[in-house]
Amino acid sequence: MKISQKELYGAVVLELHGKLTGGPEAETFRNIFKSLLDDGKKNIIIDLKKVDWINSTGLGILISGYTSVRKAGGDLVLCHVGDRIDSILYVTKLNLLFQSFDSREEAAEYFKQQPA
Amino acid sequence: MKTDLEKMEFVIPSDFKYLGAVDAAVQDLAREMSCAQRWINDFSSALIEACTNAIEHGNKYSKDKRVRVEVSLDGKQIIARVRDEGTGFDFAPYLSEDSPLDAMSERGRGIKIMKAFTDALDYTLDTNGGLCLKLMKICAIEVDETADGKT
Repeated sequence: MKISQKELYGAVVLELHGKLTGGPEAETFRNIFKSLLDDGKKNIIIDLKKVDWINSTGLGILISGYTSVRKAGGDLVLCHVGDRIDSILYVTKLNLLFQSFDSREEAAEYFKQQPA
Repeated sequence: MKTDLEKMEFVIPSDFKYLGAVDAAVQDLAREMSCAQRWINDFSSALIEACTNAIEHGNKYSKDKRVRVEVSLDGKQIIARVRDEGTGFDFAPYLSEDSPLDAMSERGRGIKIMKAFTDALDYTLDTNGGLCLKLMKICAIEVDETADGKT
C-alpha cells in the first residue's frame, strides 16, 4: 500500500494505492493520522480510486482513522469508492458510517459547507 | 459456462501481502469459466476474509506457518477450503452470531463478509489442530449485455 498526501480547499486528501489489508499498515496509518491531527488538520478525504479491494482488517484502519478524527472534532469521508469496496461497506453496514462522494472536489465541497 | 471441474491448490505464508495472489488466482479461474464479474468479486472477497482469518487468528502471523487454499469450480458451484496451522478454536459461536456490531468497532466484520458473500460457510478442526474453513457459492454466469436476446 502506497499513500500520497495532498491538500484540497483546506481538506487533506490521502490517496491510497493497492490493497488495504491492515497488519503492519495499521501502524503507518496511525502515525499519519497522529501527525495530521497534531498539525490541526482534521478534515480528511480518503481517495480509494486506486484501491483494488479491502479486507476486514483494512476496514479496521479506516474506522480507527475515523474515530481519531471525530474525537478531534473533524471528519473523515471517502471518495471514488468502487463497486467491490462499496459491496463490502454495504454488507458490513459501514456505508452508514462513512460518507462517500464521487470525487475529491465533491468531498472538499462537503467540508466547505460545514460550520467552522 | 464451462462445466469441467477446475481445481487449484496453493500455499501462502502468513502475511497479508500474499492475499493479492489469492485474489488474482480466483479471478483468473472464475473468468476462465465465464462467471459473472460481480459474482467473482464477492466470492473472492469472502475467500480473502477466510485467508485473513487464517493468517491473523489461526497462524497469528507466524513466519513458520502457512495457509493452504484449495479451490474447485465446476460450473455449478465454487468451493474453497482454507486451512491454517494454528492450534484451533471453537468457531461455532462466531459462525452463528448475528448480533449487530458496535458501529465503531475496528474488528469482527470478517465473518459477516464471508457469510454475506457465500451460500454456505462451514468449518472443521483438522486432526493436527488447525482450523479449516469451507466456503461455497452457487455460480452466476456472465450475461452478455450487448446481446439482443435472440438465439
